[in-house]
Amino acid sequence: MMRRKLSLAAAVVTATAMSLTACSGGEAPAADLSTVSIMAPFLEAQPPSADGAVQKKLEELTGKDINITWTPNASYEDKTNITLASSEIPHIMVIQGKTPGFVKNAEAGAFWDLTDKLDDYPNLKTNFPDIQQNASINGKVYGVFRGRAPMRAAVMFRQDWLDKLGLEAPKTTEDLYEVAKAFTEQDPDGNGQDDTWGITIPKWGALGSNSPYDLIEEWYGAGNRWTEKDGKLIPSFETEEFLEANRFVKKMVDEKLINPDFATFDGTKWNEPFFNGKGGIIVDVDSRVSVLVNLFKQADPNNYENKVGFVGNLEGPDGELHAHPTDGYSGFLAVPKASVRTEAELAKVLEVLNTMNSKDVAILLNNGIEGVNFTVEDGKAASIKPETEESKAVTTDIKSYAQLGMNVGGNTFYPVKQPTEYEQQVFDKRTEVMAEDLKSAVYNPAAPYVSATYVSKGAQLDNIVADARIKYLAGQIDEQGLKDAIKLWNTSGGDKVTEEINQLWQDNK
Amino acid sequence: MSQLTDALASNIGHGQGPGTDAGKSSKPRKPPKVPRGKFSVHFAHYKWLYLLLAPGVVYFAVFRYAPMYGVSIAFKDYVPFLGVNGSPWVGTQHFQDFFSNPDFPRLLGNTLILAFLNLGIAFPLTIVLALLLNEVRLSILKRTVQTLVYIPHFLSWTIVASLSFLLFALDFGPLFLFLNNVMGTDIDFLSDPNWFRPLIVLQEIWKNTGWGTIIFLAALATVDQDQYEAAIIDGAGRFRRVWHITLPGIRSTIIVMLILAIGQMLNTGFEQIYLMTNALNRSVADVFDTYVYFVGITQGAYSYSTAVGLFKSLVGIVLIFGTNALAKRFNQSGLF
Repeated sequence: MMRRKLSLAAAVVTATAMSLTACSGGEAPAADLSTVSIMAPFLEAQPPSADGAVQKKLEELTGKDINITWTPNASYEDKTNITLASSEIPHIMVIQGKTPGFVKNAEAGAFWDLTDKLDDYPNLKTNFPDIQQNASINGKVYGVFRGRAPMRAAVMFRQDWLDKLGLEAPKTTEDLYEVAKAFTEQDPDGNGQDDTWGITIPKWGALGSNSPYDLIEEWYGAGNRWTEKDGKLIPSFETEEFLEANRFVKKMVDEKLINPDFATFDGTKWNEPFFNGKGGIIVDVDSRVSVLVNLFKQADPNNYENKVGFVGNLEGPDGELHAHPTDGYSGFLAVPKASVRTEAELAKVLEVLNTMNSKDVAILLNNGIEGVNFTVEDGKAASIKPETEESKAVTTDIKSYAQLGMNVGGNTFYPVKQPTEYEQQVFDKRTEVMAEDLKSAVYNPAAPYVSATYVSKGAQLDNIVADARIKYLAGQIDEQGLKDAIKLWNTSGGDKVTEEINQLWQDNK
Repeated sequence: MSQLTDALASNIGHGQGPGTDAGKSSKPRKPPKVPRGKFSVHFAHYKWLYLLLAPGVVYFAVFRYAPMYGVSIAFKDYVPFLGVNGSPWVGTQHFQDFFSNPDFPRLLGNTLILAFLNLGIAFPLTIVLALLLNEVRLSILKRTVQTLVYIPHFLSWTIVASLSFLLFALDFGPLFLFLNNVMGTDIDFLSDPNWFRPLIVLQEIWKNTGWGTIIFLAALATVDQDQYEAAIIDGAGRFRRVWHITLPGIRSTIIVMLILAIGQMLNTGFEQIYLMTNALNRSVADVFDTYVYFVGITQGAYSYSTAVGLFKSLVGIVLIFGTNALAKRFNQSGLF
């Protein structure tokens, strides 16, 4: 009770101070770079073993000793900062995004500016310059981005409920309302009780985090974080469409078409109401479709088809499709100047990154080792059954090694062959729908720009609007309250952010 | 913990002499003669005692005082790459930013209200529970109850929060259903800002009241039993005995605990509050601890959040010294 806890700040300070003292005697890293050290996050329960088959193959393909420091994803950002303050800095660091911490370090000169260098390497020259631009800090590229499918938004629903009520899959936001209403009021599970609702939304408030709220706002035409109006960029929540979209969501909340505990519902349980037949609709990324199908398959392998239906983005009330894309990357691999001191050393490190972007390594990191855990069938990777000790180890390890994949030229590895024909159909349909929606994607025009004011207080600012949005939906404040919160955003520093973003946007046009 | 036990041991020691029948028999033993004069003589005489002291001094110097060097980043614009020494000084900039921040009054208010609620409700309850346990004469019952009330202390806040979420969950939480049926209302306790503080205090009581009784029970065991007998002969009832004998008997312990509790007052418990916060109750839930996390860790504003943490610590020190001085002024023995 007494020494219950040092305040977190003090903990950070302590850790930093400790690592400083601990490392003051460290040696400078070897200049010949026969060993390349990498810091990367892992999301599994255990990091992969340092002498596993994947590690050996990676070293064989790159011709270097690769020394990877696997760090738990949950504390990755703290560890990044502590590592940068120490003297044992790896040659390559996976950076998970343009966090304030990273931006400050980068602007202080902690990382190599790779803007003019990447194009010299055939595998590092991207086929997606827009995404590379998105991953940059005001046009300066500080790392090789980790490419991710930009179009992922989907609406999934209980297909069996839809069939029972004789409804069509939703195409527009108005259809979404109708289906949600029918799921709530027309007893879709046929148990004679009023115990279902339409859409399940978990506790998820942050602005621009691809939440169901963000998606619906974008479908209404509010834009993707920032939107161009009269030759100027404004935050999407300053548009009329933002208010309209939230009126629409509030109507659904008021009519109990959305789970009543949407402000507190635990996101890790998101699939449960869907699977247990409580809430029939989820608005999220399309990969959840396969997760849901798998849930039903595990419960009843003989009768799981046609439980889960899905569509992509929905048309807004203006009759147009404003599809919601992500920024297309998930962080980047950056090269710290403290460990890679000269241009010559940098060239060697980039050479390694270049090899890691080759097709062979991409297959290793994402599919595994051919003949051990997968074989190629019709250009797809089919896992080898039954699993052996060896293949299991590879399959487990690549879940972590995939974190090193960049794929800046597009995915060169094999798509995974689904275990059953039905699942393959679902997978192919997902690919098709997303490719179609990508044509109508509305991107965030301010994605490459980092405003100084936003770095220092952006998260607090955004919280003002994000909290007000939830409060408005829950009925704690009225629309005027929501507008007041947006005004507060403006006066607390938001106007400065808007000004800086517009300046950067104009300069880089 | 160590500070607390030290303080306690010395305090309990103060009041009583050796053994339970203190006071009536021997006078306190005279301390052995202390050689005065040169330090070296003094040191040579007590070298073994100093040796015993050394690990404690080293521990505090290395693990408590040396890291304080890092507090200097509160006055710098700290960038990890540049290090503590390399980052530029900015003076009291971060403190000025904090005090002029519109969040400041809200944070201070929330922190103080929660702190006083915990101090005003949870702290006396600990004493009441200890007194109740002390009155239980059936030894097996007393020990069983004691063990049962200690158990919640060993559960992490994550579990306490999960339990609360289950009990108060909309539509199926048993407490949610019960309370709303009894009161004829429809309150979502987990997101209603008015219910945030009661929930936090309830959790604190549930989790820590039992554990807090340990020290008071130890103090109660030292109260002179003869006085009770005398009081019974004089015809004092149970409550009179508690009021006139038990409470004065443990007064010094209560005061020490109160001073310590006040020093810890602003530590409203990061995990507990963080876990119970959501968008709907954030206006009453934000306290210094969660703010430091939010700004420092998630936004990388290390200097700023260190400044906030430092401010909190300073307030804590002022409170400790203040209460201690007050206690002395009212003729009580303080903590130091």
